[in-house]
Amino acid sequence: MNEQFESILDECISALQAGIPLEEILAEVPDYATELRPLLYAAMVLADPNPVLVPTELKTALRSEYLKQVSTLPDTKRPTLNEKAQAIYHIIRRRLTYKIVLNDLITITVTAILTLTMATLILMVVAKDSIPGDLLYSLKRLSENVQLLLPLNESRQKELQQTFNEQRLTEIEQLMQQNRVAVVEFSGVLERKGEKLWIIEGYAVLLPENVTIEGQPQEGNLVHVMGLLRANHTLVADTISTK
Amino acid sequence: MNDELSLLERIQQHDQEALTEVYDLYFDQIYRYIYFRLHETDAAADLTSEVFLALVVALKADKPPRTSLVGWLYTVARNLAADYIKHKSRTVPLVDELIADDPPLSDQAHWTQLIPIMKQSLRKLTEEQQDVIALRFGQGLSLAETANLLKKSIGAIKASQHRALASLARLMPEVDNE
Repeated sequence: MNEQFESILDECISALQAGIPLEEILAEVPDYATELRPLLYAAMVLADPNPVLVPTELKTALRSEYLKQVSTLPDTKRPTLNEKAQAIYHIIRRRLTYKIVLNDLITITVTAILTLTMATLILMVVAKDSIPGDLLYSLKRLSENVQLLLPLNESRQKELQQTFNEQRLTEIEQLMQQNRVAVVEFSGVLERKGEKLWIIEGYAVLLPENVTIEGQPQEGNLVHVMGLLRANHTLVADTISTK
Repeated sequence: MNDELSLLERIQQHDQEALTEVYDLYFDQIYRYIYFRLHETDAAADLTSEVFLALVVALKADKPPRTSLVGWLYTVARNLAADYIKHKSRTVPLVDELIADDPPLSDQAHWTQLIPIMKQSLRKLTEEQQDVIALRFGQGLSLAETANLLKKSIGAIKASQHRALASLARLMPEVDNE
């Protein structure tokens, strides 16, 4: 209601400003006439038809004072494209001293190394439980190979190799549980040596015609096997070598 | 609007021609606004001059108006007018004293006598209401333009205008309905 009245009031004010007599305006809105009359009356007095202007002399004097102040403003021309390019060139040149470049290089290198190291460490932790065929498995093997390259004493080296080999056997078990096909490798004792089937560390290993056998493995020898584990859990050897 | 923007851009570059143009374009407008707030010719002229000198000072300090030149000028004008009203101690006759000996208002000859009463009554309004009245009636700005300058909604300006006119109507002598 109030909002509607305010809109009517504003329309009446516009009509007043357009020169329409007050009584004519009120006749258009008889329901609101009583309420509108004092307000429009006040609006009529407000709309002074002869506003007081600044005396010309004073206005001229004030304008002169203003222009005097304006004339003291320093020039601030916009830089041209060429000036901008030169400014950028100077900034770059200032940055290109031997010391600053060296500092920048060191900072970039250290940051890159730290980032890479952090990323590798994180990936290694994530890759720890991967099995052959997984995306991160090669990273797991790389990490193991790096550990084997470290200068350790012989017993520690053997201990590590044994740990890693146990990992390979566990991985084969996991692959078999999931019926997955993957290239696997492991070391173990050759327990029985048939014509086309050898038992190595409890696993039946098929020997296809093109199998590569390095050395002359005998029953009881420790051998290293590389081959393909099929979904039906059969292990087809690709290479068997004596250790 | 585009002219104002181009003018704004030019004054930001300290273009003296543009600064002269700004003065000639807006001096009377700003003066009328301040006069409507103060109702003192000399003070209004001085404060109007100060608004434009403030523009020069702002340019020197590298703090020119950024978005709206008119908005900036009105803001400075409002602040200066408010400061003036606040700080200047004045002895002004009361409305009652002004109208005490007035003859009946039905006589058109006394119409102009109402203007000083109205001016006196305006001072009793809130600052926002005075602004709205000064811009709507002193400047003849539309509701939208007033709302834009005072950074309020059109609805708020309508309401403020209503309240201001109602207060003024209460302070005016009885309206002759004839």
